[in-house]
Parts: sequence; C-alpha cells; structure tokens
Amino acid sequence: MASGAALKTSGAAGVVGHAASAASRRFRVDVSTTPGRLRLLLLVLVLLSLAWGGLAAFTVNQYSSAASGVVAVQEPLSLDAQQIYRHLSDADNTAATAFLAGGLEPPAARQRYLTDIQAAGTEIENATAQGGATLGGAAKDLATLSQDLPIYAGEIETARADNRQGFPLGAAYLREASGLMRSTLLPAADDMYTTENASLNATSAQATGLPFVIVTFAVGLGFVIVLFLSSRWLGRRTHRVLNPGLLLAAAAAVIALAWLAVAYTGARGDLLAAQSRGSAPVETLARADIAALQAHADESLTLIDNGSDNGTYQAAYLRQQRALGPGPGTLLTLAETAAGGSQAAGGATAAVGDAQSWYAAHARLRTLDDNANHAAAVRSALGSYPGDAGAAFAKLSTDFGTGIAAGQTAFAASASAGADAFTGLEPGVIAAALLMAAGCAWGLSRRLAEYR
Amino acid sequence: MSGKGKRSAAVRAAAILTGTVLLAGAAGCAAASPPRATVAQVSNAGGRDTTTQARATATCNPTAASLRPAPGPPQVTPGSFMAKILARGYLIAGVSQSTYNFGYFNPLTGQTVGFDIDMIHAVAQAIFGNPDKVEFKGITDAQREPDVSNGTVDIVAETMTILCSRLKEVDFSSVYFEANTRVLVLKNSTATGLASLGGQKVCATGGSDSADIISSYPVTPRLVLVPVPQFTDCLVLLQQGQVAAVSTDDAILAGLHAQDPFTKVVGPLLAPQPYGLAISKQHPDFVRFVNAVLAQDEADGGWKASYVRWVGSPAPAPPTAQYAD
Repeated sequence: MASGAALKTSGAAGVVGHAASAASRRFRVDVSTTPGRLRLLLLVLVLLSLAWGGLAAFTVNQYSSAASGVVAVQEPLSLDAQQIYRHLSDADNTAATAFLAGGLEPPAARQRYLTDIQAAGTEIENATAQGGATLGGAAKDLATLSQDLPIYAGEIETARADNRQGFPLGAAYLREASGLMRSTLLPAADDMYTTENASLNATSAQATGLPFVIVTFAVGLGFVIVLFLSSRWLGRRTHRVLNPGLLLAAAAAVIALAWLAVAYTGARGDLLAAQSRGSAPVETLARADIAALQAHADESLTLIDNGSDNGTYQAAYLRQQRALGPGPGTLLTLAETAAGGSQAAGGATAAVGDAQSWYAAHARLRTLDDNANHAAAVRSALGSYPGDAGAAFAKLSTDFGTGIAAGQTAFAASASAGADAFTGLEPGVIAAALLMAAGCAWGLSRRLAEYR
Repeated sequence: MSGKGKRSAAVRAAAILTGTVLLAGAAGCAAASPPRATVAQVSNAGGRDTTTQARATATCNPTAASLRPAPGPPQVTPGSFMAKILARGYLIAGVSQSTYNFGYFNPLTGQTVGFDIDMIHAVAQAIFGNPDKVEFKGITDAQREPDVSNGTVDIVAETMTILCSRLKEVDFSSVYFEANTRVLVLKNSTATGLASLGGQKVCATGGSDSADIISSYPVTPRLVLVPVPQFTDCLVLLQQGQVAAVSTDDAILAGLHAQDPFTKVVGPLLAPQPYGLAISKQHPDFVRFVNAVLAQDEADGGWKASYVRWVGSPAPAPPTAQYAD
C-alpha cells in the first residue's frame, strides 16, 4: 500500500495524481472491496468538485462579462447613437431657427448649433473607436455619418455667408442642407440607434438568461446530494457519524451555491430594472424628443419659405404632431407609460402637457401667418414670452432633456450594480471547488488509511 | 415682337410641319401652344424668335391681351373686387421669395422686396392709400396659375411671362417688364448658349416656360432638364457642379449672377418674355384697375425709379401698353 502511505503525508494535489495512478493499477481488481470502493468514491468526488468548479467559473464569467458589456460597451454605444441622432436633429432645428431670425442670428442659437455639430462629431468618433465600426450595419451608418456631416456643415456655412450678404441664395443652401440631413444623416443615425439598441437588449438578455445558471446550480446540488449519500454510506461502513473532510466540502459547496444564487438574482433584478426604469423610458423619450425637434424645424422652415414650399413643411409638422400624440400608440403616450414609476416619469408627464401647449401656440402662429401677419408669426416662433411658440417649444425640449437625463442616471446606477454583483464570484467559486476537492480527498483518505 | 406677316408665316410653317395637330386647335388661343415637338421644328424653320411667335397666333397676342382701364386715375368703385379687398384690409399677393432683385426675402431686413414687389406696393397704394397693406405669400412658379384661379391670392407678381396657354387659365395686366431667355454658366465655361450644351444638364424651375424651352431645344443630343422648385436651387446645383447651366429669363439670371460673380450670362436672346401681373378671370374689374395703376406708375416716374433701383441705370422707356379692347 505505497500509495496509501503517500496519501497520508502529501497535500490535495498529490492525492489527485496518486489516485489517478492508483486507479490504473488497482481498481480493476479491488472494486469489490471496501478500500477499492473508497478509492473510486474519492476519485469521483474530486473529479466532480473540479468539474463543477470549471462549470461555475465559466457560467459566472459569461454572466459577468455580459453584464459588464452592457455597462461598458453596449450602453455607451447605444447612448452615442441616440445622442448623435439628438444632436443632429437639434442642429437641423437650430440652424433653421437661427435663419428665421435673419442675417444676424442670435449668438445663443449659433452657439447651440456649433455645440451640436461638435458633439455629434465627437460621438461619431467615439462610436467608431468603441468598436461600432466593426459591427456590420452600424459600420455602414458610421461611414455615412462621418462622410456627410462635413458636407452638411459646409452647406450651412455657405447658407450663412450668403444670408449675411442679404442674398436669397442662403435660404436655398439651408433647404439643401436640411434635405441632406433628413434624407441621409438622420436615417443613418436612426438605423445605427436601432441596431445598437437591439444589440444592447440582446446582451442584456444574455446577462439575465436562465439556462447556464440552472445547470450550474443543479450540478452543485447534485454534488451536495452525492456528498450526503457518501457520508451515510461511510457512516454505516466505518461507524463514524461525521467525516470532517466531507463536511468541509459540503459547507464550501453550499456557500458557493448560495453566493451564486444571491449574485445572480441581484444582478438579474438590477439589469432588468436598468432596462425597465432606465433604457426603456430613455428610448421612448428620445424618440419623442427627436420627433418634436423635427416638427420644430418644420415650423421654422415653413416660416422661412413663407409659402414657397407649397405647404410641405407644415404637412410634415402635422405628421410629427400626430406621431407625438398624446393618444393610444403615440410617442408621448408610449414614453409616459414606459417612464411610469421611474425617475423619468416627471419629465415624461410634463412633456405630455407642454406638447399640447406648444401645439396650441403653433396653431396661433399659423393663424397669424395665414392672416397677413408673417412678422408676428416669426416673433412668436422666436419669442420667449408665455404663449409664444418659441417659449412653448423650449419648455417641451427641457422636459425631454430632464426625463432622458433621469432615465440615464437610473440606467447607469442599476446596470453597474448588476455588473458589480458578480465581483469576486469567479475566484470565489474556483476556491470553493478546490476546497470541495481537498475536503473530499482529505476525508476519504483518512478512512482509507484505516484499511492499511 | 415682330409684325403680323412674319408671325403668320411662322404659323404657316408650323402648320405645314405639324399638319393636323395644329389644324385641330387653329380656332384661336387654343392653338397658342402647339405640342412641344413642333416648337423645335418651328424654331428651325423660322429663326430665333419663332418659339414665342408660334405660341402667339394671329388671334392671340400675349402682349395685347389685357383689358383697357377706365380713363383717369384708378378708382375703387363700389361693389368691385377692389372694394372687397379694401374691406378685408390688405391685398394678398403671390410672389417669389427667392428671385433676387425681382421678388425676394431680404434676410437682413426681414422684408420681401424687388421690382415685382414695387408693382404690388403701387396697387396697394391705389386701393388703400398705403403701399404696405399687403400680405406677401411666397409661392413656387408651378403654383402661380392655380393660386390665382382658386383665389388663394388676389394677384401674382412673380416674373410671370404672359403666354397664350396661360391666358386660357388666368388674366394678365398689361406688360410691365420685357425679359428674354438666356443662359447662365460658370465663368470658366466655354459654352456659348444652349446650342453648345447638347447632352448636358440644364436647370430651371418646374412649371416655368424656361423648362419647356430647355426640354424642346433643338440640339443633338437633347438637353437634360433638371427641374427644381426655385431658381436659387439652380444656382446651388450650378455651384456644386451638378448642372452645366441655368436657362431662364435674363432678368432672373442677372439676379443669380449678382449672388455669384463667378458666373456669366451667355448666348443669344432665345425667346421674348413679356411679364404681366396675373389676376383671376373672375375679376376683369380688377384687371382694368391694375392696368390703370401701371399706366399711372409709368407716367409719374415710379416705374423708372423701381427699374433704376432693382434692374439698372439708365432705365429704358416703359413697355407701351396695348389692350385687346
């Protein structure tokens, strides 16, 4: 019994190696004897411990990398895409409104336009650097955006230069630029946002999905049951009630399983909350915000063209107004529903009310413009007094901004909490598996030693 | 316009070339706009002025189709359309927002100004005693006839050529400006007119007479018409190299050239374009009234002052008003 002597003195690692070599030399003949069975049990328990450790480590790694992917990659990409869309819409809207003010645009409007263009440029770069450029559909959209944004900005500057000389050519360049924005840039940003959002939801689903964690849990429970049965068998054979080695292994397994259960449940709850109270309200609010920005640009362009557009911009305004709602299936109602009970709820509810004030102010503006009072209509569009269409829109825009910021904060907090739940779990389950293997080896080799 | 003899010769040439097509409409103004294919043939047969002459048959002379005003200064008579406008409080005029120096929105002042706009101010002065009682509605070239016919606007002043085809839809004032079709190209272009632009893209507004002239111009290969809503859109396309030329009235081209000195106006005079103010056929009283306003404006020097301000100095003699009756 040379191997038995070795077992007594060496550590857990030695146990495994010797058990394996013993298996090849002896188990064929000794499996009918108690020491033979003990050796077989030792081998099975050690292998089961290590296998479970591998499985659990793999599972935890899958969940935690998906969760941190949501926080570190997918969410920023989706946020970038959404911000690109918002900044581009806002630039289009601001350029049109600044134009409406005449040759010397308000400095604030000019500043806002420049901020939008710079922010959109930075976000396009970020999204490209973040890996958006390698993500199929998003790569094409990013290429379109980075190619056409300078062309758009160039046309706006040409429009501005012509406008400063009092030339009507400026308005033609503004129309050209706005056409490029609406026919190429915004659809590309929209497509990228849709792609990134789908990818965010898929990763999030991966981080909250059940199959892996159930298998890991079942295997772990199976191990505990095997331990229990083994210790009963051992007790009957050796007349000793407790085996400290097996007890240690069982304790390690139970603690690891409990940790896994708590971490997974917590992370899942956090990630689902991030989605329902964070990204879902933000997405619906952003959609409504963009529709409102486009409607506002239409309001300005209608006044700039003063009828030369045959009513196409006003028709576009009314289309956006219908899409915004409120009413069943409209953007504002969807946003209010999605934001219900979340931190974004305040902004969403205020937006519903303020949108209607804006529609009313817009209707008054149109009445002025249609009744030989173009100048008063322009004053209302640019105005900041209560009842002016300009003031009403600014209020609506602020509501969206508030709601979106609140939703994003909620998302970031919940999603990082979800990702943090897995901290330390991977080394934890590996350590537990090693403890389980060592406990089994130690406990059973003590019994084996008694048969020498 | 040249004399009747030459005109009817051209019509005869057209008739020979087009046969039954022209015979079918020979009754009068209906024959004014022969189908497009014939215009090119007429031009070949009769020289450069025949396009317009072919439109103006012996029974339709666009420059003498308007109604004679009552003698004396313009009068707002009770029950007239002018009285309705007076009661409303303002005149509604359909104008261009983008035709530099004729009708455009000046972004520096926020005012709609130009030679056409001055004509409207004169009409408002005659009705209200105040030239500013006007609502200017920007309309596209394509909307001019429908907006006058359906009463959206009282009057259109938008570099609008009096054509026999249009006289079937709307009435016109007497001629207040005489333009002629030419071509605008970039300064480094070697083109000398539409004849040297075969197969290339040429821009004009949709629904304008200029678009018809481009698409029917006799050159091989044919010109490729690029229609846009406004003539400033044509200049954008020219600057971006998307079209080789813009072809329309010299009055409009001069405005485009003023906005981009790296362009030049080239080529022969292709077709006379007599401008009139368009008014609904429902309101012959208003046509006579506006003609009285124009006659007064031309007599008291207002027309000349507008010409000098918006078109150039020295101003020529105003067009001689001719009336159908």
